[in-house]
Amino acid sequence: MKLILTIAWRNILRHKGKSLVIGVILFTGAFLMTVGNGVISGMAAGVEENIINGFMGDIVLISEAQKSDNILLNMMGSSIEPINSYKKIKEVLAAQPYVRHFLPVGKNLAMVLDENTDTPGFAYLIGVDFAEYRKMFPDNFTVIEGSYPARGERALLFPDFARNEFYSFYNIWFLPEGGKVVKENLSKDALAAIATLPVSSSAVMMGMSSGINTTSDIRFPIRGIVRYKALNKIFGHFCLVDIESYRECLGYFTAADMAAQVPKEEKALLGLEGSDLDSLFGGDSMLVSGYKKAPRQIKAEKIAARNPEDGTYNAVFIKLNPGTAYKDALARLNRGLSEAGTGVKAVPWNKASGPMGSMALIIKSALFLFVTLLFCVAVIIIVNTLTMSALERASEIGMMRAVGAHKTFIAGMFLGETAILASVFGGGGILAGILAVRLIPLFRITTDNDMLQILYGGNFFNPLLSFSGVLLTVFQLLVVTIIAALYPMKVAGNITPLDAISRD
Amino acid sequence: MNIIEIKDLKKDYPLGDTIVPALRGIDLAVAEGDFMSIIGPSGSGKTTLLNVIGCIDFATAGSVKVGDREITALSDRQITDIRLNKIGFIFQTFNLIPVLDVIENIEFPLLLMKKSAAEARKRADKLIEEVGLKEYAAHRPAELSGGQRQRVAIARALVTNPDIVLADEPTANLDSVTGASILELMRRMNEIEKTTFIFSTHDANVLKYARRIVKIKDGLIEKEPALA
Repeated sequence: MKLILTIAWRNILRHKGKSLVIGVILFTGAFLMTVGNGVISGMAAGVEENIINGFMGDIVLISEAQKSDNILLNMMGSSIEPINSYKKIKEVLAAQPYVRHFLPVGKNLAMVLDENTDTPGFAYLIGVDFAEYRKMFPDNFTVIEGSYPARGERALLFPDFARNEFYSFYNIWFLPEGGKVVKENLSKDALAAIATLPVSSSAVMMGMSSGINTTSDIRFPIRGIVRYKALNKIFGHFCLVDIESYRECLGYFTAADMAAQVPKEEKALLGLEGSDLDSLFGGDSMLVSGYKKAPRQIKAEKIAARNPEDGTYNAVFIKLNPGTAYKDALARLNRGLSEAGTGVKAVPWNKASGPMGSMALIIKSALFLFVTLLFCVAVIIIVNTLTMSALERASEIGMMRAVGAHKTFIAGMFLGETAILASVFGGGGILAGILAVRLIPLFRITTDNDMLQILYGGNFFNPLLSFSGVLLTVFQLLVVTIIAALYPMKVAGNITPLDAISRD
Repeated sequence: MNIIEIKDLKKDYPLGDTIVPALRGIDLAVAEGDFMSIIGPSGSGKTTLLNVIGCIDFATAGSVKVGDREITALSDRQITDIRLNKIGFIFQTFNLIPVLDVIENIEFPLLLMKKSAAEARKRADKLIEEVGLKEYAAHRPAELSGGQRQRVAIARALVTNPDIVLADEPTANLDSVTGASILELMRRMNEIEKTTFIFSTHDANVLKYARRIVKIKDGLIEKEPALA
């Protein structure tokens, strides 16, 4: 081994030009691979942190009647199917040991209306129990103006990103009730017009559904202005609203409706306590998939006294326990939901998040493909250079074979040369890559582009390299080295002593 | 006792659609410890004969025994082992490993035999002294003259104590004085190490060093000429 490495090392020094070419390729490849792995890891971590932990969980339950699994950024007009079997769903979820947390939500598109213009704006509404939402996503946004609503309070949390857009659109600056204009939070245009800035502490919204037109226009009191911790330009289109107001806005069954229609005593008499109310009203023309005929106007009273879980939802966000086998959990969950006749299905977060999840996957795949292509090119160049080197050294190699060197010795010599080059230059590339991955976050590189934000995994470009990521890079380099050396090794091993003599 | 026994050795080379016979039925026996020269004009088959004996090339037909072993039907690994353990080579163009210095070139075959570094160096030191290049031990081949390189090649060929040393035109690239000194050295090593030497040449001046001369022409051995 010492002899092989000695000859290999001295051959590298003897053929400095070729060694440098291979070395530069290995350095560049290893560097880009390390940074690429860092970007992929950073994006994966960012997407996981921001979408899974910060917005919709690992798994999302949607109605079986829902045509598209994408419920996050769905096209305008295509509403999310209602779910009226939450009590059953809750029982199923509570029985799953791998489920850490779950949150039922309403989610649909609403028109934002203004008395002064004919053209409506649009915003996504997420109807939640504010207290439960905070438990599920404790720090995914900051209330920058106003306050977080109390349990059971009817209120709207308006995102600052949407506020800026609506100011441009309507020339109205939304404020929380009782709030004042905060200069630091004004957009450029609003700041320029601060002296005459028209403000409003409520927003009129009308739910949009592709079903029966039973939606209502509701004036929501704005409780707070929020800024999402990450991906604010994407999540900043989502307004949080209390679930009962949301239901009224969309024309869904509210908890109040359910309580009014089927008193507890009657439910007990009918033996329907905890059962699906759809079965009770299955043949009633008044009920169509969770929509009720007559629209309701928002009431100012608190809803804490009622159980908000009695009404209609559109989805359930689920977080899994760390370390859960994802596919297995998804399959088990779907089995459980189906057996219980809940009428919902479990879909993975990346499908439910639509373009975001797909884009994350596409970017991840593209980066992986880029790194793979880079390696293929590196392998081809190294193979060519080493093969040429083997042929140029046929005389020397043939002589070694003549004096008794086996094919394995010659092959080992070439592998040794490639391994030394890979260790020195590839190792250098990996170290430089690690350094770059460590340094990049310090520059706080940000972007206005939504897609790039997904690539960044958040508002800032934050590549991340774990120890296992470094090991992966070393492994990839090892694979490249072996693949790149295989053919030249074969060529060199097949050089015979006669070849050496013939060349003389 | 014969160290080499060759019977009806034939070697053909394909050249396009035609077959060129290089050896057309050689019968030859070489005694242990001999110092033999194969002579003949260019293209007569000298190098081919040496290559087949040295397991560098393969016979088309016939039998070649090195020691008591038939070498015409061995695998690459077995053939390589014979080259390593039984045969030493001296090439016309010296053929040293350019990245190794003189002493490392000499001990190279011993390290291939998995001898310990100390043992290999001890034997290489002895040989380098015998070929008179001790002061050049740390020099690379490129820093040596042609004669010095050929001395290194002789030392390397002998370092494993082979049964046979084959030298193909060892003086062809050397001036007459250096060539004579190389042949003197080979002869001396033959006497010291008791190794069989077979060398090819078409230089008449070389013949005076040989104890036996085999003349080859058109792939066949002619009657052995008388020694000078």
